[in-house]
Amino acid sequence: MGFASRSVSIIRYRVRGEMEGSFWDAVDSGIKKGAFRNTETAGDIVAAGWVAIEDFTDNAFAGASYHRANYAALALRIDSVKVPPRILEIHLKSETKKLLEQGDQKRLSSGQRRDLKERLRETLKSRIFPSIQVYDLMWDTLKETVYFGSLGVKARERFEDHFKKSFGLTLRPIVPYIRAEDLLKDESEKRALENLKPSSFVA
Amino acid sequence: MDFLDILREKAFLGREFLTWLWFKSDQLGGLIEIPGKRTIEVIFLDQMTLDLSDSESPQTVALKGEQSELREGMAALKEGKKIEEARIRIRPSDEDFTMVLKGTWFAFGSFRTPPVLPPQDAESEQDAEGAFLEKTYLIEQGMDAVDDLFEYFLKLRISDQWELQEVSGIRNWIENSGA
Repeated sequence: MGFASRSVSIIRYRVRGEMEGSFWDAVDSGIKKGAFRNTETAGDIVAAGWVAIEDFTDNAFAGASYHRANYAALALRIDSVKVPPRILEIHLKSETKKLLEQGDQKRLSSGQRRDLKERLRETLKSRIFPSIQVYDLMWDTLKETVYFGSLGVKARERFEDHFKKSFGLTLRPIVPYIRAEDLLKDESEKRALENLKPSSFVA
Repeated sequence: MDFLDILREKAFLGREFLTWLWFKSDQLGGLIEIPGKRTIEVIFLDQMTLDLSDSESPQTVALKGEQSELREGMAALKEGKKIEEARIRIRPSDEDFTMVLKGTWFAFGSFRTPPVLPPQDAESEQDAEGAFLEKTYLIEQGMDAVDDLFEYFLKLRISDQWELQEVSGIRNWIENSGA
């Protein structure tokens, strides 16, 4: 559910770190660096990266379409494929049989079996439609805050990781204590915050 | 302070905030006046999760139903639990925002702002950008209201008034709730 939807879920992050050179040039090159493309590594994720917030098929961002006033508006698209375990099992059994008939082994070693399974999984992946997840984000560049449109742990981890890889910046969730650190300016108040212990509401 | 330590040692801050917020809302008929700032209406709706955060084995209670059933939440408070998340409606002005506010992460689930023209109905690119900025503005309005409430709580929380007044007020409220 994107930010344009009636109902959204949002977690806030503080952006930490410095970018080199002109800010919006660095944002632009970070977005292009992390733009949606096929992944080259094995695993469930077959393609991932930044796409336009209004069109998850647009990874070109013509005319810096992500730039809205002081915001960078983007979406993270993740395409993943999971080969159904029983489909994999069928192919594994039939390939194993073929291999054993061709050679003089009675059974495959555990290493051979693992390699075969991985090879089959990678081959079968291309025959399955991916599941496509799209998560919106808004980067308020004045407040150094990012709003991310999912509370799911996996989505958040992938987002934090991809943001770091693209822009070289770290995201820190604005949990209550961190919000409190922002709000309290006075040294004695900060100390009081640091020393807080839970209160008991039961008499 | 390391982030993982913050999560481990300071998660109680969000839970105490939500529990205090329910107390204030219940005591003040929903209208919470933030000194020197503004009055924000806060109503607890039909969904709440409570957690015994200081226990070695976490115990959670999830409540869903009519507002009156949230009284069961009082029984959980009596056991020492605090609110981990709650569905609330806030009115910082004459418009409504609803959300499931999460204590530990300070995150906003199922967050509904007052309506805007959706981008797919907008004719030009400029209209789409206008709709985006309007929606962003509304999202920030809702979050600012929650932040103002949190700041009010925080200033009390680190003051002497917390132990002297707020904690005893909350204890009495729980004690006399009849749950």
